Amino acid sequence: MNHPTHEQIVALKRLLIPMADDEWMMGHRGSEWLALAPDLEEDLALSSTSQDEMGHAKVLYDLLHDLGEPSADYHVYFRPANRWHHARVTALPKSSWAEWVVRRYFYEMFDQVRRSALERIPYPPLVGALKKMDREEAYHADHARSLMDILAHGGAESYGYLREAITDDWAYLADLFEWIGPDESWASWDVGELAPSAMRTRFESQVHQDFAIWGIYWPEGVPLATRKARHHDSSPDLPALLDDMREVRNQAAKAHW
Amino acid sequence: MPPIEETPVYEVFAQHDALAFATHVGSLRAPSAKMALELAREAFFRRDPAFDVWVVPATQIVHARDFPITLPTAPEEKSYRLPSGYDNGPQWKRFKASEQKIEDVAQEMAQPVRRIPQ
Amino acid sequence: MKAVEEFLARVDAGEKIEVRDWMPDEYRDLLIKQIHMHAISEIMGAYPEKEWVAKAPTIQRKMALNAKIQDEIGHGQMLLRLAEDLSQPYHRGREALMDDVLEGRVKFHNVFHLEAPTWADAGVIGFLVDGGAIITQAMLLNSSYAPYARMLKRIVAEESFHMQHGESVVLALASGTDLQRTMLQEAINRWWPAMMFFFGPREMGPASQRMMMYRIRTMSNEELRQKFITRYAPRIRSLGISIPDEALRQDPRTGQWAYTDPDWDWFSHMVHHNTGPMSQARLGLRRQAQVDLRWFREASLRSAAYHASRGA
Repeated sequence: MNHPTHEQIVALKRLLIPMADDEWMMGHRGSEWLALAPDLEEDLALSSTSQDEMGHAKVLYDLLHDLGEPSADYHVYFRPANRWHHARVTALPKSSWAEWVVRRYFYEMFDQVRRSALERIPYPPLVGALKKMDREEAYHADHARSLMDILAHGGAESYGYLREAITDDWAYLADLFEWIGPDESWASWDVGELAPSAMRTRFESQVHQDFAIWGIYWPEGVPLATRKARHHDSSPDLPALLDDMREVRNQAAKAHW
Repeated sequence: MPPIEETPVYEVFAQHDALAFATHVGSLRAPSAKMALELAREAFFRRDPAFDVWVVPATQIVHARDFPITLPTAPEEKSYRLPSGYDNGPQWKRFKASEQKIEDVAQEMAQPVRRIPQ
Repeated sequence: MKAVEEFLARVDAGEKIEVRDWMPDEYRDLLIKQIHMHAISEIMGAYPEKEWVAKAPTIQRKMALNAKIQDEIGHGQMLLRLAEDLSQPYHRGREALMDDVLEGRVKFHNVFHLEAPTWADAGVIGFLVDGGAIITQAMLLNSSYAPYARMLKRIVAEESFHMQHGESVVLALASGTDLQRTMLQEAINRWWPAMMFFFGPREMGPASQRMMMYRIRTMSNEELRQKFITRYAPRIRSLGISIPDEALRQDPRTGQWAYTDPDWDWFSHMVHHNTGPMSQARLGLRRQAQVDLRWFREASLRSAAYHASRGA
């Protein structure tokens, strides 16, 4: 499928915009932890992860550009707030270190499920892009697990922070599994794994297994998303984030920076 | 505030490609060997890949400089170990054959083999 | 005393010293002072720049600035390891050397106590501060302390990316709109006097003089400053940007630059007592990592011990 049909292009965009936005937000929020990690070595690992996520977002925005969307820089710097489609958990304001570790872990586990489903779509540029991301993402997931393991086995204080962070993030996880637009957008590929319910099941089984190893109480299934999932018409956090991110660019939108 | 325990130091060695020997690239602090490998990746290989990476607890390394008698020094006169000082060239000439160098052998082995067609 | 003389003779002959070699206490202490301050300056340098990662005006700039700050943390990590190894006889490791920053026992470069209020400051830090640091570090490549010289070789190689990045931001602003050029001019006005202080007083203090004697460093403050001005003054002027120093001119005969002295007392008080406009805010950020998150470093050790006890 080198030349997708109009319907396929629409479906691809509905799958890729949310993914690109998720990656961008994780990279953007991750950058806020620069020079604030608990030790210098971890700071280096953290910073690479943020760079990788922004890099992946760029690759996906470029793919979307090839499908007729505006440029990557447009998506980041000029797109109206109501046309961002990240899951809200990826863009939550910076909170505690434990919350960031937990957020990363949930995101990486979800992202693994999503990438393995997307790889089935026979669109060569996407297959190529995902392949390039795989090595970096495998490392992210491995390291995210290591940090979770520290929280889990690091004594009463850290275990307490872990429980608290899981409780805080859990309610936000639902959005991850939803795509924008009509539910059938994923169906045109005949890739059953892309169905929200299928992704949620795979995610839950992985996380449930990890939680058992770490001795973490399993808080029942991930809640179901509302119809507003991945729509930010009245999202409380997004306008401030966009204002901050675009503060310099907006001073001379058309200039070369 | 009371001092806390120091995180252990690991020395990091890297083999840059399959035919390279591992060389020391630096050291870092990590709670475990596995974590040391995870952290070494972004501490020392952000721009260059590696074929393999070793991490060794710094306390496990023994230095010859602490036992100076074991430290290798430039050998005294041991010309018999060296390839220089032979006069094979002129002698081959006397036999009307040419001198050969090991580099020539290596180079020849790197050439594709020409097979005589059956 | 004879040992010290022999040591000095070795150093004078260009021999390199390793961490496990015998060394005079004074040599060790000077090295710790120098490398500790260098490491901490790399780390504290992350804070004025990191504010601008969130706001960087293009995707490319944002990722490059992130990578540049990461390199600086990496340099801090590598240098701190050297200072830790040297500090072993004093039983002081990473924790103690990091706590020193918060408790005012180690200084960091004057420039990182100052405000960086616009995107142009992020560019000018890369252009001038990194430029100044590259000059100092290139001089230290000849240091008598081999682990430091080795490390600097790697650091200088990475700095070439920083140099290109900083220059690229400055060149884009200089070729831009009036607003961008004004932003650049104002940033240069802010940073120039700080850069005159950066290399230290005209007359070097006793510690710096001893470092010269031990060949830890090989050039005077004034020599470094002159090299900096020679390199940067013409470049700034060629951009059509003025330098905020009416006294700045080069003697055509000697090549020496005359310049207005920075407010030595003000800057000096600032670096010794952390009284700069941003000193406390930046130390506050460092405290978040070092103090507020020390529970995580302790948890890391506990988790490693848990796995070790299970034979994992």
